[in-house]
Amino acid sequence: MSESADTPIKMVMAYIRPDKLGDVKQALASAGAPSLTVTNVSGRGSQPAKKGQWRGEEYTVDLHQKVKIECVVADIPAEDVVEAIQDGAQTGEPGDGKIFVLPVDSASQIRTGAEGPDAV
Amino acid sequence: MSTLLQVDPTTVANGINNVWVLVVTFLIFFMQPGFALLESGQVRAKNVGNVLMKNMTDWILGTLVYFVIGAAVVGIVGGLTSGGDIAGAFGHIADSNAWIGWLFGAVFAMTAATIVSGAVAERMNFDAYVLFTVLMVAIIYPVVVGFTWGGGLLSSSGFIGGALGAGYLDFAGATVVHMCGGVAGLVAAKMVGARKGRYDSNGNSQAIPGHSMLLAVLGTFILAFGWYGFNVGTQATILAVADDGTLTFMGSALGRVALVTTLGMSAGGAMAMLTSARYQGKPDPLWTANGILAGLVAVTGAVPHVTWWGGALLGGLGGFLVLPAFHFTVDRLKVDDVCGVFAVHGVAGAVGTALIPIFAVGGFALNQFVLQIVGVGVIALWTIVASAVALAAIDAVVGLRVTEEEETEGLDEGEHGVAVYPEFVPNETRDSTVATDGGELRTDGGCSLGNAVDSSGSAPDPEVSADE
Repeated sequence: MSESADTPIKMVMAYIRPDKLGDVKQALASAGAPSLTVTNVSGRGSQPAKKGQWRGEEYTVDLHQKVKIECVVADIPAEDVVEAIQDGAQTGEPGDGKIFVLPVDSASQIRTGAEGPDAV
Repeated sequence: MSTLLQVDPTTVANGINNVWVLVVTFLIFFMQPGFALLESGQVRAKNVGNVLMKNMTDWILGTLVYFVIGAAVVGIVGGLTSGGDIAGAFGHIADSNAWIGWLFGAVFAMTAATIVSGAVAERMNFDAYVLFTVLMVAIIYPVVVGFTWGGGLLSSSGFIGGALGAGYLDFAGATVVHMCGGVAGLVAAKMVGARKGRYDSNGNSQAIPGHSMLLAVLGTFILAFGWYGFNVGTQATILAVADDGTLTFMGSALGRVALVTTLGMSAGGAMAMLTSARYQGKPDPLWTANGILAGLVAVTGAVPHVTWWGGALLGGLGGFLVLPAFHFTVDRLKVDDVCGVFAVHGVAGAVGTALIPIFAVGGFALNQFVLQIVGVGVIALWTIVASAVALAAIDAVVGLRVTEEEETEGLDEGEHGVAVYPEFVPNETRDSTVATDGGELRTDGGCSLGNAVDSSGSAPDPEVSADE
């Protein structure tokens, strides 16, 4: 218990193409980190703006539909999670997304009341 | 046991014909949800409730007004413009035998009225719209009917029709109903002004996408379904009684109106699909939907009068013209016609009806052709003038437009205090004195506009809010 309490908790936050979610889930499960939270988001980065049209009149769409993944880990190294997402989400074209790793101060499991890495 | 010979054939024919008229009347009524969906899909989510309110208002106020006033105006105008009698104009109110016929007329009137709402969506003051609907159903549309089906000005007994020795042909109302609604919509959209952001500072149009192509296309199919009542049902006699008592089934006439209606809508959709693919690179669902309706409008006046291939050509022409007519309206006339009602109902109705003699089953007749063109002109001119006067009067009384703040927030909230697509609502009763967002809990849905109901009397004291 005291040993695991020192394990750092990390949140891996990634923005990926919606159609890559299935591949990323597969890759995360293979890496031993199957738990995740998924949100539909819009955003822009290096992917160029595209044109929409309504009755033939064009308008600019510069916020693209993306999926945000949050994956909190303690026992599994965050680097492995990052690598799994990278493998699952990459196409090589602009718009593949970004991955960020954040430190997590504390964690509590609501059902059991477990604290720290045990809660993750 | 009675035999068929003892039954009066006129009674049989009347019974069957009247039941047929009632059935098609209910079909035409079903065009109302079609319009509601079509228009809702083409506006932003924040204005859907307002569009729905307008569509319901067209029906609920329209039927009341058309019974008491509109149907009588038809008779009065018909009599005055043909030198006929107007004494019986209000006769339908006390005569229960006239009520099936009245209802059949009423569903056409409400179709004309509801077309306007698509043109003025997203910025017209609801009170102003209600007043315009009343005037549309009480006067503007009934006068057009009086000129035509009511035996007035343009009919063979009217002053213009009589002079040309012909009766104006518009079988189910391509101009009487649809062009009247489309032109009134154009005038109303012009007078209300464009939606905020529709034109940039250089006057170039900017797209304002509607919130659901799905609703618009479903609405189109429902409209097309109801349209069979509109066109085929106007062939109201399905059993004819000869002088010697023999009954004749009008299968040929019914078949022609049913076929030409179908070919017209399909040709219209096909041409709009091709036109959009040619000008935009890809076949566009909304243009195709508009083309189906324009094809229907184009043949609505023509269905019993033209050859099957003539009907297909008229429908195709209506569908082909939708895209250029819409761009003419928006880019040249600078009128923000949200749902393209002028292109779909106005232009297609005018062209389809004017060209009937070219494709006539009985051959071309010059006096008929002249009358068709004059008739389209008379109906358009009356509708423009009457709509403009009506809207100017309404503008002076209540104002045509909502405030800029309300337009930004959306007419659902501003005009009706509702959200058609509410986001997060509590799923259980809570201590209502604590606002979960820490702010003031408003019972009017958070509306802070000047015309909103003042909620200070019923809202909890702001001092008991959860935190500062």
